Amino acid sequence: MRNTFRKIYLALILILLYAPIATLIVLSFNSSKTRSKWGGFTGKWYISLFQDTSIMNALYTTLIIAFVSALVATIIGTAASIGINTMQARSRTFFMTVTNIPMLNADIVTGISLMLLFIACRFTLGFSTILLAHITFNIPYVILSVMPKLKQTNKSTYEAALDLGASPVYAFMKVVFPDILPGVLSGFLLAFTMSLDDFIITHFTKGPGVDTLSTKIYSEVRKGIKPEMYALSTLLFVSVLLLMLLINMSPKDTKTAKHKVFNKAMIFGRVIPVSMILIIVSGGIFYHVESGQSGSEQVVVYNWGEYIDPDVIDIFEEETGIHVVYEEFETNEIMYPKIQSGAIAYDVVCPSDYMIQRMIENNLLAKIDFDNVPNIANIDPDYLEQSTSFDPTNEYSVPYCFGTVGILYNKTMVSDPVDSWDILWNEKYNDNILMQDSVRDAFAVALKRNGASLNSTDVSELQKAMNDLIKEKPLVQAYVIDQVRDKMIGNEAALGVIYSGEAIYTQQENPDLEYVIPKEGSNVWIDSWVIPKNAENKENAEAFINFLCRGDIALKNFEYITYSTPNKAARELIEDESIRNSSIAFPTAEDLKDCETYRFLGDDVDSYYNELWNKVKAS
Amino acid sequence: MLNTQNILIDFKNISKTYGNNLVLDELNLSIKENEFLTLLGPSGCGKTTTLRILGGFEKPDQGQVIFDGKDITSLPPNKRNLNTVFQKYALFTHMTIAENIAFGLKISGKSKTYIDDKIKYALKLVNLDGFEDRQADSLSGGQQQRIAIARAIVNEPKVLLLDEPLGALDLKLRQDMSYELIRLKNELGITFIYVTHDQEEALTMSDTIVVMNQGYIQQMGTPEDIYNEPQNAFVADFIGESNILPAIMIEDKLVEILGARFACVDIGFGKNKPVDVVIRPEDIDLVKPEEGTIQGRVTHLIFKGVHYEMEVMANGYEWLVHSTDMVEVGQEVGIHVDPYDIQIMNKPESEDEEAVGINE
Amino acid sequence: MNKNRKLLSGPYLVWSIAFIIIPLAMIFYYGFTDETGAFTFANIAQMGTMENLKALGLALLLSLVSTIVCLILAYPLAMILSNLNVNQTSFVVLIFILPMWMNFLLRTLAWQNLLEKNGVINGILNFLHLPELQIINTPYAIVLGMVYNFLPFMVLPLYNVLIKIDKDIINAARDLGATEKQTFLKVIFPLSLPGVISGITMVFVPALTTFVISDLLGGSKILLIGNVIEQKFKQGSNWNVGSGLSLVMMIFILLSMAVTTKYDKDGNGGAF
Repeated sequence: MRNTFRKIYLALILILLYAPIATLIVLSFNSSKTRSKWGGFTGKWYISLFQDTSIMNALYTTLIIAFVSALVATIIGTAASIGINTMQARSRTFFMTVTNIPMLNADIVTGISLMLLFIACRFTLGFSTILLAHITFNIPYVILSVMPKLKQTNKSTYEAALDLGASPVYAFMKVVFPDILPGVLSGFLLAFTMSLDDFIITHFTKGPGVDTLSTKIYSEVRKGIKPEMYALSTLLFVSVLLLMLLINMSPKDTKTAKHKVFNKAMIFGRVIPVSMILIIVSGGIFYHVESGQSGSEQVVVYNWGEYIDPDVIDIFEEETGIHVVYEEFETNEIMYPKIQSGAIAYDVVCPSDYMIQRMIENNLLAKIDFDNVPNIANIDPDYLEQSTSFDPTNEYSVPYCFGTVGILYNKTMVSDPVDSWDILWNEKYNDNILMQDSVRDAFAVALKRNGASLNSTDVSELQKAMNDLIKEKPLVQAYVIDQVRDKMIGNEAALGVIYSGEAIYTQQENPDLEYVIPKEGSNVWIDSWVIPKNAENKENAEAFINFLCRGDIALKNFEYITYSTPNKAARELIEDESIRNSSIAFPTAEDLKDCETYRFLGDDVDSYYNELWNKVKAS
Repeated sequence: MLNTQNILIDFKNISKTYGNNLVLDELNLSIKENEFLTLLGPSGCGKTTTLRILGGFEKPDQGQVIFDGKDITSLPPNKRNLNTVFQKYALFTHMTIAENIAFGLKISGKSKTYIDDKIKYALKLVNLDGFEDRQADSLSGGQQQRIAIARAIVNEPKVLLLDEPLGALDLKLRQDMSYELIRLKNELGITFIYVTHDQEEALTMSDTIVVMNQGYIQQMGTPEDIYNEPQNAFVADFIGESNILPAIMIEDKLVEILGARFACVDIGFGKNKPVDVVIRPEDIDLVKPEEGTIQGRVTHLIFKGVHYEMEVMANGYEWLVHSTDMVEVGQEVGIHVDPYDIQIMNKPESEDEEAVGINE
Repeated sequence: MNKNRKLLSGPYLVWSIAFIIIPLAMIFYYGFTDETGAFTFANIAQMGTMENLKALGLALLLSLVSTIVCLILAYPLAMILSNLNVNQTSFVVLIFILPMWMNFLLRTLAWQNLLEKNGVINGILNFLHLPELQIINTPYAIVLGMVYNFLPFMVLPLYNVLIKIDKDIINAARDLGATEKQTFLKVIFPLSLPGVISGITMVFVPALTTFVISDLLGGSKILLIGNVIEQKFKQGSNWNVGSGLSLVMMIFILLSMAVTTKYDKDGNGGAF
């Protein structure tokens, strides 16, 4: 009776622990790209995984950082433990307190403090800063595993060795070290695991072009995780599981074979995992060197997530021999401070209209040398004209994508006609509304609904918009960015504010969905390529922009990201007539009559917007 | 067995296995009131399991435990009117000494003054007056041991179970504590059941010794019985030092050992029957070669304080001899044993059983 | 000789000053200065605004609730595990360490799939004709995420203290007349206090400061203090205010650290 209760309890906890893992494993076999729909069984992600260089790079970066940081931490930590162990009580307490700081302090504080340090010291955030940070938080784990073993060791064995004529170093290596070895090894493994699983500290200390699996996943969260990621996690998990089962399968005879079993457990428990890690990591280093940049020519690209066809980068690298360091951002507001701080020298960035204006006004951008960008001729002059609203002289930016903001709705779930922003305040759709998680888009909705300009600087208009958004908040299921797509496809919500570019893809996946630009008007936006002033490879950046303006390349990107392209050469190449003439992809002037582009409103107004938005979020 | 009214505890057909390991095999044992009974045997013989079954920490696979006329086989430990002193004392490290001793009394809801008196009394009894407010882990092993005893006896149990209580102490302390235990036993007038693998402890303290091996009782009796008349080679070997020799019982009162005939006092073994004989080393007299039953040469000599320990090679066997008289190594001697110092034992069939037991 | 050995901790001393102490000092510096570098309390005072107080209060509430839930779930679990047969220690640790090899973000994200309106759990509930579970994007989902992620940090210290309690100490209590309940309350629980306290800190601190779990399971609707600070650094680019808020948050971390050290001392050698 009691035993069954225990078993049930144990089973429930295990279900709690492992349900998400089972879910991820199932998702890794889902042939549909979106996580909210089961598209049948497939193993294809396991194959494409190994062709996805960005994931494989992230994997190897993760493993190398985990290995190197665990190794360095083990050396420093073990040495420190031995030193601390011989100390007087007072200095020992000091050391142990310092050791406890990273253990007990919040990851976010540790991460931030290290970021502040690195930036203050003018370290370029990147691989080495992640490594330093990981070593820092790994050392305490090693010390805390080694110290107890050191305390257990019998002092007299060491003295006995000295007595027998051993030198102190020899005596230490032969007598003390074998005693503390289990602690050293488990410290190493613990450090390795912790480094592997860390996200928060890496998030604050990483730079461009470097991703660990964690940061890669975090940047993918907004736009939907690539199924390859599930496959990779499954592989990692299953191989560790098998390894551990192997260890636990070693015979558990009692008494008679105790000594043997101990040795066996030692081999299975320590030696094999360590050697496995060694193999994986050395493989990683080998792979990394193999795939690493062949020449020194490079261009550092900072783009929206999922905003380029990966093949395009490959082709570019192949044709020009320029290595692309690629990093992604989720919102303009996240991107801006990184450029402003200058901590990272990006060569080419793809912000939106109003943000470009802000960057120009704050003198962050370099003029593009159009002699190096002859393909500018492919861009429809209409859009260059439109660009003058944020780049008056057309000197700083080259349009890449454009689109509108509208409402995506599910025909089976919405009975009312959808033609106005008002529907987002309709209580009938409580908990069925998805809003954009960005200041300007959210306020654009509220401002336009009240007939105001989405570039309003009028305090009363903005206050009213804020109050409306607070009123709307209880009806909102979630504030998301690109996740609108997956959630709408999965019938999780009835209405979602979305960019027109996403509409085409979602309709393909779920025919019940419909896209509308509300009658009050909306935002029409343009994302353009710009070159920051502190770019280190300006000519490469121009070559990159020029390459993207080629008709065939622009078409490839259009087909991949499904956002409207201003490239008329590309549009002419589209074979599918319904898409070439789609009013969603290529809206007419009539469609856009009440639409505005965002303008940069000045730092003060900008922070006022932010303040109001924080109030909405915190309400 | 005659005065059954005095029997306090009765084990009836108790068996216990751990996994494939048969620890107790149909054990039957009766323990009298006010007895100091020792379960003696090598580790793994089942003595501790017997004690834990009595304490209620293990359930037997079969059989019954009768305590004071009632079947307590399935009673939980807290419902049994007996207390245990654990091997490693098992003091509550998060409590003071006074709190440790008061633990059982508080549970049974005794008044504060009663408890305070009892603590004082118990600490006095174990010679640790004034230790009330000390922490359990600040005491030495011997002191902790006394506290463990005090903690048990304040509850006035009918029986005190002691599981190798002196095992962790050094020799001097062990001896002191064993006198202390005898004194306590006499003062309290309750039954002590004592588990040990140390034959010396068993011989000094016990009224009754139960020698166990491989889950069986090998012999039960007074210390004198066990020492002087071991019933089989195991007991003889385990208790004290001895010469155990294969022999042939020629007829009543005559035994042939290593080809030489010795007079003895045993009868009823039959004629020309193979037997084992036990001769204690102190019962061997070394005499002039021509006066001895067997002749040999001294090969080793060690001074042991009270006596000399010698080994004598005679008829292909190294005889162990204790004597207060020294004989130089190399000297020819004769071996003489008085008839009543020769203990004849049947060759045990149980030896075969043991062998089978080991193979399992 | 000993002097030589003490030198071995030299590299660590340098390292910890460079990467632990100086960075913390930098937070203090930023926290107490404005953009021009002048001394100010304004950043600290930012915590006093309604929104930030609310985020802090909610974070305290949710982390407290999840800590309690973790304790309630973990204690019986650790008891069961510690009563399992002998040499299973590595197995137990394995069960709880193993999920860590699946990325923490992915595991948390998987809860979205499980909890969504049309998610796996509701699918099962529908199939059984049971009412649906609507907790995604609510504080309940965040608590669930916290409990899920931090439960091992509660179980392992508890398991470690429980397994170390000599079975004979429990037997002794029973022997002295204590019922199972009394044995638990008077002996097992007090002896496990150091584990309880360290489990509480190990759950409370990361739960208090998380921004990922609230982000992923709260639908970005629910701001905790961690989210506010993260935004100040990553989006608002106001490092001074962010540092100021971090300092305020650290008060709570320090508090729980102080409690830990105090009780740990008591647990090792102290009164009941």
